[in-house]
This record gives sequence, structure tokens and C-alpha cells, in this order.
Amino acid sequence: MSDLSFTENLTSSDITIEGTVGKVVAEDAKMSMRNVNVFYADKQAIKNVSLDLARNQVTALIGPSGCGKSTFLRCLNRMNDTIPICRVEGELLLEEQDIYAKNLDPVLLRARVGMVFQKPNPFPKSIYDNVAYGPKIHGLATNKAELDEIVISSLQKAGLFNEVKDRLDSPGTGLSGGQQQRLCIARTIAVSPEVILMDEPASALDPIATAVIEELIDELKEKYTIAIVTHSMQQAARVSQTTAYFHMGQLVEMGKTEQIFTNPVHTLTENYITGRFG
Amino acid sequence: MNRTTTEKVVKSLKQRHRKEKLFKAAGFASVCFGFLLVLTLISDIVIKATPAFHQHWLKLEIDYQQEWLGVDSLDYEKLESADYRKVLRRSILAMMPEVSGRQDKRSLYKLVSNNAEFTVRDALLKSPEFIGKKKNVWVMLDDDVDSYLKENTEFSQTGIRISEKQAGWIEQWYNNGLIDKQWNTEFLTSGDSREPELAGVRGALTGTMWTMLVTLILSFPLGVAAALYLEEFAPSNRFTDFIEVNINNLAAVPSIVFGLLGLAVIINLFGMPRSTPLVGGVVLTLMTLPTIIIASRASIKAVPPSIREAALGLGASKMQVAFGHVLPLAMPGIITGTIIGMAQALGETAPLLMIGMVAFIVDVPMGVTDASTVMPVQIYLWADSPERAFLAKTSAAILVLLTFLMMMNTLAATLRRKFEKRF
Repeated sequence: MSDLSFTENLTSSDITIEGTVGKVVAEDAKMSMRNVNVFYADKQAIKNVSLDLARNQVTALIGPSGCGKSTFLRCLNRMNDTIPICRVEGELLLEEQDIYAKNLDPVLLRARVGMVFQKPNPFPKSIYDNVAYGPKIHGLATNKAELDEIVISSLQKAGLFNEVKDRLDSPGTGLSGGQQQRLCIARTIAVSPEVILMDEPASALDPIATAVIEELIDELKEKYTIAIVTHSMQQAARVSQTTAYFHMGQLVEMGKTEQIFTNPVHTLTENYITGRFG
Repeated sequence: MNRTTTEKVVKSLKQRHRKEKLFKAAGFASVCFGFLLVLTLISDIVIKATPAFHQHWLKLEIDYQQEWLGVDSLDYEKLESADYRKVLRRSILAMMPEVSGRQDKRSLYKLVSNNAEFTVRDALLKSPEFIGKKKNVWVMLDDDVDSYLKENTEFSQTGIRISEKQAGWIEQWYNNGLIDKQWNTEFLTSGDSREPELAGVRGALTGTMWTMLVTLILSFPLGVAAALYLEEFAPSNRFTDFIEVNINNLAAVPSIVFGLLGLAVIINLFGMPRSTPLVGGVVLTLMTLPTIIIASRASIKAVPPSIREAALGLGASKMQVAFGHVLPLAMPGIITGTIIGMAQALGETAPLLMIGMVAFIVDVPMGVTDASTVMPVQIYLWADSPERAFLAKTSAAILVLLTFLMMMNTLAATLRRKFEKRF
């Protein structure tokens, strides 16, 4: 039996996904999604997914490549709006507010739901301007002193301030990869969002920079609700309280992180987290 | 790797290296060939242009006799309209008493430029105390004399109308040290003229500046805005596809067609004044726009999407993303596209012929609604003139045009460097 057919067996359609196993409803939900379907033109990328993001907790979305976890994450602050062929159906609520409501401005939504991307993407501006950009466009600071305070406190929260305090005017693109990603987190925090979405924030970083980011995520959950997409199961296990396992656009299983990693219910989840495929 | 494989690789390696060497050599040869061509062209132009930068002058002792001038008082207004031609001619005759006969006298007078009498007038107006007295005045020599002296050839050669007698007089003056060669500053400070020795590029150069200004002011914002709209805001549907195809086609339309459009629509329909930098600029804008739009779109497309996402993710509006992030990052490419379009417009003649910018205009245009011509049209006009002196003027005008182009490019390169940032 070749390797390929071995993987096929593990993920074959014989293993049925009948709805989601586990607990998708949180007691204190910051965001709650029900029956979400996402289509790219005719292709369905997300099939009937329901889940809650618990307040001040880290929810990890895991699953093999192309399972739709990033697509789902991008629905939560309507980043998918930029893709013309993408269509989102279902009920997505942020504190009882329908985020796909016609009268809701995505600009406002994105100020409340921030996002950190896979590849560090600082603006080609100074470190200071990178962080100050969000507060500036939203008019959060009325004067320079206030802006300075926001920038400094954001950099402090992102654990970057001590490293860059002497060179706030140097370009953000000149920092190392890990520093750039923390700069991006600082930039997101500066707008004081309620939810932070992270799309594989450490996948382009070395282990030490990753550890720093993970530590940061752990601290950030005191103030923010966080959803993180990750390829690394160890990372999910380390930083999250709740884990959701996606497979082929479906939410297979969701539950407490310890339970998912120690005692998965669904066969697919078990095959994935035991590292038999993925 | 077993032995045969290694052998095969070694064999193919030789061939690959040979190919690389061949390509390098061919590339170097083509670069050299191109450089040689440019060098030949430029040196040819420079050599041909050199005579135009000098002009021969004649020292005359002008006798400002009141009787000849036809004035009896020092009235400034009367002095201005006095008969200086008589003064000039009598003074020349006084210097050459041996010349007699109507025909000889006329050919003698012909040796000085048409504007010599104005030089004589200006000299007196500047210091009126010389009235009734004699004064040395340098006057310009006629272009035929100038060419004759510069080319150091036999008289009555093609294009140089100097008779044997005239050649003798010139030699006499020359030997007496009455003829002096000076820098031809008139070339840069005066407008066009039928007399080659008086013709300058100032009119055409100013016209070019006005035309380029109108073109830049119209085409840059329009082109960039169109590109930005098409790339960042427009929905991708049949309509935008149709527009895209049309823009690409427009870039390939022969420029004279734009001239016809300018004549039919801008001049005849809208009634804008013909032969003006305003109309020229509008026509050249039509021609330049597709170039700028295509280059700007390519440059906007090349801005990494991660930057757009970063800004959108922070809650920036589409407008803020486009103007705050995409445009600054695309600016170097946009400037390159603009300079290519502007350089094209700078050298364009055909469409301007259609809107009357080919007219003979002596005055330097003072604004965009003054009739004027442009450098390439001026070059075309001079190249078409029979006088020998215009040959050098044509080459000199080409040099001026090239210098203008280089200055424009340097400015663009400086701007570009300012906008270039790492990302």
C-alpha cells in the first residue's frame, strides 16, 4: 500500500461528518456564528459551520490545508468582501449585532475586529507611523500627546517597546520577522479592537520568535477575545482554551483544548491530531 | 550518482557554459552596437550644430548726422523713428569709398544683417549724446557672409550666395580686423525669423514648455485617477473589460489621428484658439493618457496585496487604502510611465501639424493661449529651409530639444528616488 492511499484511507469519505461533535456554544460568547456557508463562485468553501468565540479566551481553528479555516476567520471581519466572487450566508453576530447587516459599515466592524496576518506586513513607514496609522484614520487621538501615548502603550502591550524605543522613526520593514509580527500586533491593538483574529501569525517565524508571540497571545486574552488559525497543533495546545477542528469546509469537532488533544471524539480529529495526516 | 550520469552531466555542462558565454557575448555586442550608434548620432549632431553657436559681427563707424537721420532735436520719440537705414548705408559707403554703381552698392548693403539698422538705432537711443558725432557700432553680418566665413570655402558655393566682389570686400574687412566672431546668444534669446542669423529657439522652447505643462497638468491626474479607479474601485464586468480593451487600442493609434480629432473637436467644435499650447496640450494629453494609464495600472497591480489587507484590516476605507498606501507605493512606476508618455509627447510633430502649431511665429508665447510652435516642429521647419545657416540651426535646435528631454528625465528620476521605499 502506497503512502498516498494510506492518507486516503485516513481521510476517506467513508468517515462521515454528521454535523459537529462537541460543544460549539459558549456561555459568554463574544461572537457567535450560526449555519455559516461560504461560496467562492459555485464552490462551497464552508459548509454549515456554527461556533462561538468565548469572551477573553483564545479559540484555535485547526485543520489540514484547504479546510476553510482561514476563509472562516476572514468572514469574521468581512475581509472576504474584497474578493468579488465570495458569498457568505448564515448568521454572524458580534455582541448581538449582525456583522453582515446591510446597514453595517465594514470599516466600523474592522475597527472592532482586528486582524493579524500570516506574513508580517508592516507598512513601509516608520515604526511609529505603523502603530499610529489606525488611531489616526479613526480619529482616536485628539492631539500628538494622546497619539504618542496610544503608540507607546500599544508597543508595550505587544512587548516590542523596549526593543524599538530608541528607533521609533526607523522603518518598520527594517525589523526582524518576529519583531515585524509584533509590530503588526501592536498596530492592531492600537485601534483597541474587541476581537483579534490571527491567521497563522507565527508560521513565518523561527521557534524563539514564535514562543514570544505565543506568550504575547496568552497575555492579550485578558483584554481581547482571540481567534487564531494555526497549522501547529502544539501551538493550538499551548495558547488556546477552545479548539475547533475543520475538515473539508466542515467543522468536525469543537471543545475544550485539553479534551480535543487528549480525548478526541471524532475519528478524523484523532487521525489529524495524532499526526497521521495533515 | 553513478559514473555514466556524471559523464553525461559533465558533457551537457560544457554545452550549457558555451551557450551562456555565447549569450553574454551577443548581449555585450548588441549593447556596444547601440552605444556606437548613439555616439555617432550625437557626435554628428554636435559637429553640425557647432557653427550655430557663433555669429560674425562687423565693426562699423556710424556717423549719426542729423541731416541723414532727419531729426533736428533730441526728442526721444522722434529719435526712435528716425531714418537709420540711411545712416547705416552712408556709413558703410564712407568706409568703402571705392564702391560705386547702383548694383554694387546694393550687394554691399546686403552683407550686413537686416536688423543692423535697429542695432544702430538702439546704440543711439542708449547714448543720445552721439547725435551728430561718430560712434563705433558692432552690427551683425548677413547669414550668407556668416556661413561663408565659417565654412572657409570658395565663393558662390551652393547655398551660400556670395559673389566674387563681395568675397573681396569681406576679405578686406577681415584683414582690417573689422570682423569678430562672438557667442551667438541670440540663438537662445530670440524667436523664429526668416533671416537665419536672427532666428532663435526661444519661441519654440517656450511653446514646448507651455505645451508640456498643459499635457502634464491634464494627463497625470487624469491618468492616475483612471488607473486607480480601474484597479481599486471598478467592479470587474463587461463594461470595464470594454474600457480596458479600448485603452490598449488607444495606445496604438497613430498620433496624427489625435491631431485630426483635435482639429475637428477641440478647435472646430469647442472653438479653442488654434496654434496654441492649450490645444496642443489637450491633443498630446489624449495621446499620452493611454501610456500613463497602462503603466500606472501595472504599477498599482504590483503593490503587494498584503499592504492592502493590512490597511483594510485596521479599518481603513477603500479610499484611504488607495491614496494612503497603494498610490505612494505605486508612484515610482507611475512616474516612469509618465516620463515615457511625456517624452513621447515632447518629440511629437504630426498631431501638432493638424492643429496649426506649424505656423511661422516670431513672438515668444506668453501664455497657453498665445499662438506658438514647439521644438520638434521648429526643427522640422528649419530643416525644410534652403539657407545654409539653417542647417547648423537645425542641429543646434535638436541639441536644445535633447537637453530639455534630459532635464525632464533628471527631474523625474529625482522624484522617483524620493518615492522609492522598501517594502
